[in-house]
Amino acid sequence: MSPRLRLAVLGVALLALVPGAAATIAHLPDFGATIAAYGERINAIAPGERHVANMVSAINFDLRGLDTLGEEFMLLAAITGTVVLLRGRRGETLTDRAMRLPGRAILPRSEAVQLTCRLAGPLLMMFGLYVVLHATVTPGGGFQGGVILASGTLLAYLGEGYGGWRDMVRSHWLDAMEGGGAVLFTVCGLAPMLTGAAFMQNVLPLGTFRDVFSGGLMLVENAGVALAVCGGFTQLFLEFLEETREADGPEEPGEDSA
Amino acid sequence: MIASLLASWPPAVLVPLPVAIPLLVCAALLATAHLLPGRTPDILATITALVVSGLSAIIAVQAGDGSVDYWFGGWQPRDGIALGIGFSVDAASGWIGAFIGFLYACTFVFAWGFFARTHGHFHILMLLFLAAMIGFCFTRDLFNLFVWFEVMSVAAFALTAYHLARSSIIGAINFTVVNSLAGFLMLGGIGLLYARAETLDFAGIAQGVAHAGRDPVVAGGFCLVAAALMIKGATVPFQFWLADAHAVAPSPVSVIFSGAMVSLGIFGLAKLSAVVFDGSAQIREAIPVLMIGLGAISAVLGGWMALLQRHLKRLLAFSTISHAGIMLIGIGTLSAQGSAGLLVYVVGHGLVKGGLFMIAGILLATRASIDEIALRGLGRGIAPAGVAMAVAGLLLAGLPVGLLDTGANLLHGSLTAAHPYALAATIAGGALTGAAVLRAAGRIFLGLGEDPGDEAGAPSEAEREKADRPLWLMLAPCCAMLALDAALPASWIHGMAPGAVTAFSHHALRGMVSEGPAWPAWASVAGALGLAAFALFRHRLPRLVVGPIRATQSAPTRALEALHSGLIGDYVAWLAVGLALMAGVLAYA
Repeated sequence: MSPRLRLAVLGVALLALVPGAAATIAHLPDFGATIAAYGERINAIAPGERHVANMVSAINFDLRGLDTLGEEFMLLAAITGTVVLLRGRRGETLTDRAMRLPGRAILPRSEAVQLTCRLAGPLLMMFGLYVVLHATVTPGGGFQGGVILASGTLLAYLGEGYGGWRDMVRSHWLDAMEGGGAVLFTVCGLAPMLTGAAFMQNVLPLGTFRDVFSGGLMLVENAGVALAVCGGFTQLFLEFLEETREADGPEEPGEDSA
Repeated sequence: MIASLLASWPPAVLVPLPVAIPLLVCAALLATAHLLPGRTPDILATITALVVSGLSAIIAVQAGDGSVDYWFGGWQPRDGIALGIGFSVDAASGWIGAFIGFLYACTFVFAWGFFARTHGHFHILMLLFLAAMIGFCFTRDLFNLFVWFEVMSVAAFALTAYHLARSSIIGAINFTVVNSLAGFLMLGGIGLLYARAETLDFAGIAQGVAHAGRDPVVAGGFCLVAAALMIKGATVPFQFWLADAHAVAPSPVSVIFSGAMVSLGIFGLAKLSAVVFDGSAQIREAIPVLMIGLGAISAVLGGWMALLQRHLKRLLAFSTISHAGIMLIGIGTLSAQGSAGLLVYVVGHGLVKGGLFMIAGILLATRASIDEIALRGLGRGIAPAGVAMAVAGLLLAGLPVGLLDTGANLLHGSLTAAHPYALAATIAGGALTGAAVLRAAGRIFLGLGEDPGDEAGAPSEAEREKADRPLWLMLAPCCAMLALDAALPASWIHGMAPGAVTAFSHHALRGMVSEGPAWPAWASVAGALGLAAFALFRHRLPRLVVGPIRATQSAPTRALEALHSGLIGDYVAWLAVGLALMAGVLAYA
């Protein structure tokens, strides 16, 4: 189809969809009318039965934990897929050291940037850990905290340069973190079955409401998610940074330490 | 003894395992792949797939004429309201799970060592893909269905682009864009249904749908969810992505795509229309028009396009579109017989089509080409593969042996009285796709057909796959699949079908499941043999016969080929047209 014909076809189809869409939208419940029965029900049950203040975590890790297990593995699939595709083009040979282009000048980081990153990096990591640990009390949790932790490592790249960053980050460790976190999450599902309970049934002591140690099994699952997300995202950063190299350029191992 | 042991287990204990075990193995593989010796991922993956298959079969047997329910996290429904996520496995879902596990095991054997250099990444993605498919089959929660639908898609995107040639990246991008749109549509549809039914459990939504009466919100929800599943199931006019993606994916991945992924879209749609949407008169009115109409068009169009291809994997991809259309017709009959036929057809088609993609892989590995014309006569050294291809072609055409025929026969039976045009379309689909495969087999393995001359040099990308496996290792899983298809007795299916369909549809579909007439199968085989013979011996026929055929079919053929432009913008425009069509039919139902 020519671009004009294509747009015409699309336009006619969208026009034909308008009456149906309008009727559907007109019959939807009004904005903010009621909370659906399912949500109402869960809100009533979860604080009492799971001692958890953050309802989102209660839903994610307990009531609808299987969905989150699926989402976790969706992330794992996306990251593994990205790694497969990027490495497939660059070549499998994976070095644990930064490579450098001979003759390319290495611009040293300014001291101000270095200082800022050295100060902000640990603080950001602390904040990430805080978000992870308080999953059952305040908004946040393993997914969010894991991403903050992973972006903390990027500050190391900003402050210490690529060579310094690669010295701290090892691809195999990241694989181990990502896979290990996912194993931990899955085992949280399977282990309760050994006691005769259902898959992912919350069999651990539930702790006290609004305490960091509340929610029982949710805390372990949350830790698994944080580990996997942190490892996975850092792996992604590593692959994307490696991608900035010329594919076929001459390279030699060297200290790109500035 | 094992039987008595099994009987003493509570049946539900096993239900989460076919999903959890592949997930566990794939995560463990990711964590340790660089430490493991060479073939460990192959061995682990094959064993896992076999375990999944076995467990699913046991659950299917336990389900019997009912279903096995399982509530995750121990959240049993209270006062009839589902709180957590449930799996509900009936015999049909369980056996399809067992078939999927078997298909993966065969694929892992077929791909033995093929992906050795990738730190097990291929196996990780494939095991994820497997877990997602089983979850998709077993779940009884609409959002959970969406989660597995998306895991399937994400794993599939990366597997498609695996070769990283220009064509495979374009194919993967088309696949990714269209299927991501399917994801959006499905999520939108789920939102609408949740707004009306205020729950995500199938049974709860079914109540909400039945209660709502004629309601644009429910109709809109159905339209979006059904469109998403029909995109996955490659129904015309949503089918364009399939040929691009299946043709370029590595052969072991294509086996899974065509053998299981596409038909799962149809399977999901069959389950939802029977279990969730049965209570809406408006939707029940629209389903026969939509599914039989679009299914019949897909069956004929896919078959015709298959006949036009010289790229063997693209040929097989179009034949998948045709057969997915035939399955879709089964939904449209809204009868127990049609649904039984469709469910059996899913398994039979998967076994045969998977075997055919393996033969394409064998040609890619041993003959370094996938072009039918260029391969003319080059298959003589690998005669066993030729025999397998001919057998698979005949089975695809409808040879009355085995599982695929049992399914087709049931489908034909449900169509003879009420839908003669749909019956004609299924016969045509079988004949056209069978003819395409038989023609290719004749040309490649017997050297039949006109000497192509300069035509042999295909203007396409040079394609090949690593030739690091012995022929028998690649052929064995293919033969195992074809043998399984041929060996499963029709009497067993006929005995199981009525109860299984009733349980599958949560009692929405009941009624007799009886043998259909035998003549459509023979008509289809005869048509396939005739068309294949015509294609191969055309150059020896008098001009008087060939001329008019060439003159009449040339224009529509060219128009049809122009539609499959490979441009993603076109595909999205057709997607919108399909959606508008469905909305229109629903509005007038």
